[in-house]
Amino acid sequence: MFKFLDRLFLLLCICCVQAQVQVQAQTYPTIGRAATVAEIAAWDSDVRPDFRGLPVGSGSVSQGMKVWEKKCASCHGDFAESPAVFPPLIGGTTNADIERGRAAGLTAVTENSKTTIMKLATVSTLWDYIRRAMPFDAPKSLSVNEVYATTAYLLHLADILPADFTLTEKNIAQAQAKMPNRHGMSIAHGMFDVKGKGDVTSQACMNDCPVNEQSLVVLPTSVNGLNGNLAEQNRSYGLVRGVDTSVKR
Amino acid sequence: MAVKTIVGRLLRAPENFISDAVIDDIREHGLNADRRDFIRKSFAAASAALVSGHAVAAADHPSGAGDPAILTLPKHSTSLGNPVAHLPYGLPSNYESNLQRRESPGLTRKRESSVAFTPLQGLFGIITPSGLHFERHHAGWHDIDPALHRLMINGLVAKPKVYTLGDLMRLPSVSRMHFIECGANTAMDWASPALPSVQYTHGMLSCCEFTGVPLSLLLEDCGIDKRNAKFILAEGADGASLTRTIPIERALDDVIVAWGMNGEMLRPENGYPLRLVVPGAQGVSWVKWLRRIEAGDAPYATREESTQYTDVMPDGLSRQYSLIQECKSVITTPSGGQRLLDKGFYNITGLAWSGRGKIDRVDVSVDGGKNWKTARLESPVLSKCLTRFNIDWVWNGKPAILQSRAIDETGYVQPKLAELRAVRGTRSVYHNNAIQSWRVEAAGEVVNVQIS
Repeated sequence: MFKFLDRLFLLLCICCVQAQVQVQAQTYPTIGRAATVAEIAAWDSDVRPDFRGLPVGSGSVSQGMKVWEKKCASCHGDFAESPAVFPPLIGGTTNADIERGRAAGLTAVTENSKTTIMKLATVSTLWDYIRRAMPFDAPKSLSVNEVYATTAYLLHLADILPADFTLTEKNIAQAQAKMPNRHGMSIAHGMFDVKGKGDVTSQACMNDCPVNEQSLVVLPTSVNGLNGNLAEQNRSYGLVRGVDTSVKR
Repeated sequence: MAVKTIVGRLLRAPENFISDAVIDDIREHGLNADRRDFIRKSFAAASAALVSGHAVAAADHPSGAGDPAILTLPKHSTSLGNPVAHLPYGLPSNYESNLQRRESPGLTRKRESSVAFTPLQGLFGIITPSGLHFERHHAGWHDIDPALHRLMINGLVAKPKVYTLGDLMRLPSVSRMHFIECGANTAMDWASPALPSVQYTHGMLSCCEFTGVPLSLLLEDCGIDKRNAKFILAEGADGASLTRTIPIERALDDVIVAWGMNGEMLRPENGYPLRLVVPGAQGVSWVKWLRRIEAGDAPYATREESTQYTDVMPDGLSRQYSLIQECKSVITTPSGGQRLLDKGFYNITGLAWSGRGKIDRVDVSVDGGKNWKTARLESPVLSKCLTRFNIDWVWNGKPAILQSRAIDETGYVQPKLAELRAVRGTRSVYHNNAIQSWRVEAAGEVVNVQIS
């Protein structure tokens, strides 16, 4: 009996070893090569909300203002409030928001009047994005200290940091603690996971389904022609034609 | 006695030379001498008023001895044509130039950070021709030298590695067809109908066959730390160095590091020479000009998943990392800005897709959602891929509202706009997958409408 069990155990062990061998992934040691420390440092600039990846450095609000006026204001406006080129960065938040960590304005305004600072929950996002993608026409041209300074200036414009503040890797958590929408994000939804569950449910009614005829809203004729002449955006033969939207109707 | 109807192909052009009221009258009572005369005069007046560029089309079915298109042999039947390789890289016919990617004026101020929409109104089947794949860049596109392009994998891996295109192309590759849809597709129509045609309402949607190496293979090759790695960060080589977080389960599932698109290399506008393919996820996750993958133990909250591509809910909370494109469909013909030439038989055709799997069924209504019939699904029906549907329709010449409703293999039913708004409000931007309504007017013109 024991012998049988021993053998069974041995057999199971062999099976386990085999299974393990099977699941061990194939690797391709001769394809590709090791990344060097310098290469990783050259590209890996991402900064996470927990500040992992944030380099040592510092920049003051007043230094940031100088960078801003030279390299940023032409698109974003002197006070980062301009909607002329991109949606405004700063504005729409209050001291109460800073206190509470939720931008109250998000429930009251249209998308077009939302500012970046209203939507932003994490200061790391701002720092990371300025470093990798700004200025728009010369991305990655700012030094680490200039990124700190520009971030400090923006946070000052949003009343998060005082005018005499110097932002560093050591005190950036203080800024995070005052972000006006720091509690404004939720991942409690089914849209991150492919197997997640949707939030909107509908029924596939087939016959005599309820429809509210009064709810009909038609594309306003005022938009006619704004997207060009649709007659020129469809084939000139076939089962349909494009509507001529070049003429006043 | 029923009078044989009617207006027929006189309706074709010029546009709107008779009013809807007259059309209704004719439809109701038939054509008598008065009405014939009225139409003749209206047509003459409208023709005279034409300035240019809109010649009256020749009748497709002339009377008499027959069609000049048949009776008079054309040049192409009586002379030599162009030789082979006249165009070493072929181009569409000159007659197809109306179907182009187009920008929507006023949407953005910088064309390097903008969108060009796919002309869905004129496409067939499910594959988007490479030159018509929609464009969305955050810092413009470059034509990158593939010999100098590198992919780095670092972070929570035992062996951070660098691969050239040559390295990647030696590895076992896969080819798969998937749709890609921008999270902001149909965004302008959240509150009310805003755009005139399916190109602008739904044209941030394309579908191609992509070829590349599974990301899982590369992560295994680098010795991914399976205990601690929970997410990956994908990063582009463009000026924006766009970054997005992807959960590790997805990264190890069906994500592809792709170089091929529709049998050739990716187009520069679509990420040449390397892009990420994240089936079912919104387009921004499909990082173009892919240069780096980092494995980490926490999500990254990058700009494109914080202030952009998040769904602000009615209570002001923003849904972060909402990247799945849920089940959706749209009728592409007849669709907004098109005009039916006369009544009778039409093939209603459209596209359906789901970021969670295969399309199970598509229903079509021609009465604004009161009654529905199930459409034919054309093969192939693939997971996270466009599916083409068709259904017969005989237009009686009366106003009609056309809708399509897709159901995916999870049983999820594409919602009505009112159902979507009840949960997400009217101020949302992203992830509008509501049922689209197109109203066919009595004159045959199709208009973007909303009804619930």
